[in-house]
Amino acid sequence: MSETHATGTDEQTVPDTETDTDPAARTTAGETSERTREEWVEYAFEGEAKLAVEDLNVHYGDDHALKDVSIDIPRESVTALIGPSGCGKSTFLRCLNRMNDRISGARVDGSVELDGEEIYQDDVDLVELRKRVGMVFQAPNPFPKSIRDNISYGPRKHGEINTGLVARLLGRDDQDQEDELVRRSLEKAALWDEVSDRLDDNALGLSGGQQQRLCIARCLAVDPEVILMDEPASALDPIATSKIEDLIEELAEDYTVVVVTHNMQQAARISDQTAVFLTGGELVEYDDTGKIFENPESQRVEDYITGKFG
Amino acid sequence: MSLGTDVESSDALVTGDASTRELVSGGLVALSFASFAVGLLALFQYLPADTPVAGTTVSTLLGGVLTLVGAGTVALGAASYGDLLETSPGHTGGLASAAFVGLLWFGVGGLVAAQTLGLSLLWPVVALAVGGVAAAVALVAREDLGITLSAGLFVLLSGLVVLTGAVGPGWQWDPSTLSIVVTGLVGVPVIALFAGLIGAWTTARVYGGFGAQGRQTGAYVLVGTNAAGMLALLASVVGFIAVRGFAPMTEGIKYGLFWGPWTWFNPPLVDTWVVVEGPILWFYWPFVMEGYSTTGGGIDGILPAIVGTFWLVVGAVLFAVPLGVGAAVFLTEYAEQGRFTFLVEISTNGLWSTPSIVYGLFGLAFLVPRLGNTNSILAGQLVLGFMLLPLVVITARESLKSVPDEYRDASAALGVSKWETIKSVVLPASLPGVITGIILGIGRIAGETAPILLVTTSSPFPSEVAGVIEGGFRFTSAFPFVAVPDINLVQSSSALPYQLFAVIGAGLGENIDFAWGTALVLLLVVMSFYAVGVTSRVYFRRKLNQ
Repeated sequence: MSETHATGTDEQTVPDTETDTDPAARTTAGETSERTREEWVEYAFEGEAKLAVEDLNVHYGDDHALKDVSIDIPRESVTALIGPSGCGKSTFLRCLNRMNDRISGARVDGSVELDGEEIYQDDVDLVELRKRVGMVFQAPNPFPKSIRDNISYGPRKHGEINTGLVARLLGRDDQDQEDELVRRSLEKAALWDEVSDRLDDNALGLSGGQQQRLCIARCLAVDPEVILMDEPASALDPIATSKIEDLIEELAEDYTVVVVTHNMQQAARISDQTAVFLTGGELVEYDDTGKIFENPESQRVEDYITGKFG
Repeated sequence: MSLGTDVESSDALVTGDASTRELVSGGLVALSFASFAVGLLALFQYLPADTPVAGTTVSTLLGGVLTLVGAGTVALGAASYGDLLETSPGHTGGLASAAFVGLLWFGVGGLVAAQTLGLSLLWPVVALAVGGVAAAVALVAREDLGITLSAGLFVLLSGLVVLTGAVGPGWQWDPSTLSIVVTGLVGVPVIALFAGLIGAWTTARVYGGFGAQGRQTGAYVLVGTNAAGMLALLASVVGFIAVRGFAPMTEGIKYGLFWGPWTWFNPPLVDTWVVVEGPILWFYWPFVMEGYSTTGGGIDGILPAIVGTFWLVVGAVLFAVPLGVGAAVFLTEYAEQGRFTFLVEISTNGLWSTPSIVYGLFGLAFLVPRLGNTNSILAGQLVLGFMLLPLVVITARESLKSVPDEYRDASAALGVSKWETIKSVVLPASLPGVITGIILGIGRIAGETAPILLVTTSSPFPSEVAGVIEGGFRFTSAFPFVAVPDINLVQSSSALPYQLFAVIGAGLGENIDFAWGTALVLLLVVMSFYAVGVTSRVYFRRKLNQ
C-alpha cells in the first residue's frame, strides 16, 4: 500500500510517513533542533555545483526578505524550492538571474557563482547572464505576437538570427535556421505536435497550458544552461500541470532546473533535491527530496510538510 | 386607444393576471416613449408642435397621450394597491426615487406659484411644500401607490396642461426675471420629452411588478430612453448640418464614363491637383475642386481650404506624434516615477486644457516673426502641433502604463535590453491606445479656428490653392533622374474652420448655402481623419490579439 502511494498520490504518503516516524521521529527532530542551521542546509552531492550561493541577503527597503541563504545547486537536476507564501523563495529565484535588479528598492548582498563565476560583480554582462540562466514565470506571458515570433524573439534580438526585409536584401536571411530553431525549441517543450500547423497564429490564442509550454520553448530557444521556474504550473489545470511536470523532468537531462512551487506533492514528484524556506526568508532545510519528505531533520519543516504550519 | 379600454375594463383587471399588467403597462411604456420621440422631433422642428394631424395638432395629440399615460399609471397603481394586480411592491418607494419626484414637484410647484399665481416671494415656500408632500408620499406610502401617485400625477398634469391648450403652440411665456421668451413650439416639446421620460420610468416599474424587478425595469427604460435621446440629439445636430449642406456641397457634380464634356477639365487649377482626366472615367465636383470664384461665375468652391486643412493636420501630426510618443516613452519607461513625473503629468494636463487662442497668440508673437514674418502654413502646423503634443503625451503614457509588466519581465529574462524591449514589445502593444489619442487630438485640431486665424490665414475667400508642392515629382534626364518638388510651407493658406468663420463674418445673407456646404465638408474631412485612425487602430488591435 505504501509503495503505490509513495509514487502515486503523495498526498497520502505524507500522513503515512508521519505515523511511521511518530513518535520516535518527533523526539529525534526535537533533539536535532539543537543543531545549528548550517548543519541542516549542508547537503553533499557528487560533482561541482552549477550555482553556488553564499550568504545571500535581500532587502526590499526595510523589509529583510531573504536571510543568509547558502546553497549549492547541482547541475542537470531538478531542485525544488518550497515554502509558504511570502517566505522568499521567489525572491531567491529571481536573485539567480539578477531579475531583482529590475525592482527599485531591492538590495542584494552576498555571492552567487555560476560555474564558479560571481554574477554579482559590477562588470557582469546581464545579457549574457540571462541568456545562460533563463526564466519561466508563474503566469504564462507570451508576447502578443505569432508563435514563431515568440520563439525567435530572443535569438533575433541577440543577433543570432537575421530575418526580415533588410536581412533579405543583404542576402543574410536566416529563414532556415529560424525554422529549425522554432521546431527544435517547440519539440523540446513538447508543443510542436500541437502547434506545428499554426506557427503564424497569435500566441494569445493558445490555451493556458500551451502558452506556458510556449514560454518554456521561448526560454529554451536562447539555449540556456539553467532554467528558473517560478510556480510554472500554479495557474494551470491538472492536465496541463502534469504535462509541465513531465516536461520539467525531461529538461533535467540537459539543463539545471530550479523550480519554485507551493505545491508539495509537485515538489515530491518532480525534484531531485528540495530546499525548504520558511517564513522570514530563511532556508531551513535542503536535502534529497526523499529525505525532506520522509524524514526531515527540522521539526518546523516536518510541521510544514505535514500541514501543521504554513 | 384600445389600451385605454383595457385599463378601464374591470374584467381584465379582476383576474389579476400578470400578463394583463404587462400588456397595459407595456403599452403605456410604448406611449411614453412615443411622446418622448415626438417631443424630440418637435423640438428640432422636424415635426413642429402646431403641425395639423388628423383634424387636430401634434400638440393636442401629445397632450392626449400624456394624459392617458398619467391616468393609466395612477389607475395601475390603484389597482395594484387594491390587490387587483399581481405585484410585489416594497413598503416604500425608496429614498432616491422619493428625492427624484420631490425635486420634480418642487419645480412644478415653484413654476405654478411664481408664474401662474404670481407669488413673488412666497414661491419657494409653496415649491418646498409641494415637493415635500410628493417626496413624503413616495417615501411613506407603499411603493405601488407612492410612486404611481407622485409620478403619475405629474404626467397627468403635464398631459392636461397641453391637452387643454393651457400650454399650446400659440402659448408664450415671457418671464420678467429671465431675458428669454419661451414659445409653445418649444414649451410643448420640452414638456412632452420630460413627461414622456417620467412616464416611461414609472410605467416600466409597473411592468416589472414593482419591487426589485420593477426598479430594474424602471432603471433600464430610464437609462435606455436617455441614451436613445442623446443619440437622437447628436444625430439631429449632424442631420441639421447635413440636410442644409448637402445641396450646396453637391451642386454641379458631373460624372460619366468614356464620353463627356472634356472642356470641364480645362481649368488649370483643377488640372494640377486632381487627376480626374482620362478616357475611362471622369468626375467633376466643383464645390471641392474649385476655389472661390472672384468673378462671380460658376460655383464657389472650397478647395483651398480643404488643402490648407490637410497640410495643417499632416504637419501637426508629423511634428507632435514622434515628439509626444518619445517623451511618453522616456517618462514611463526610464524616468523614476516620482515628483518629477507627477509634475510633468500635471502640466501636460494643464497644457491640454489651455485655450487655443492662447496658443494662437503665442504663434503670432513668437513663431510668425521668426518664420518669414508672414502668416504661414508652417506656423499653423507648429501651433497645432503644440496643441496636439500634450494629448499625445497623456494618452501614450496611459497606454504604455497599461502594457503588462509581464511582457517586460519576459523580455528581460531572455537577456534583451530595455530599448529593444520597448521597441519590439512595449510600443507595438501600446499602439492602439496611442492611435486613439492621436484620433482624439486630430478631431480637435482639425476644427480649430482661433490659432489658424492668427498665424496662417490671409484672404478670407481664396481662389487659389496654396502651392505647397511646386512642380511635383517628375523624371529628368540628369542625375539623379528624379526632380524632388520644392516644398513651400511658408505661405498663407485658408483652412476649413476659418473659411466657415470668414463666410459667417462676411454676412450670411448671400452666402448661407456656401456656409452650410463648408460646414458639411469640414465634418466629412474630420470624419475621414477619424476613419483612417479607427481603421489603423482596429488593424493593430487585431494584430495583437489574433
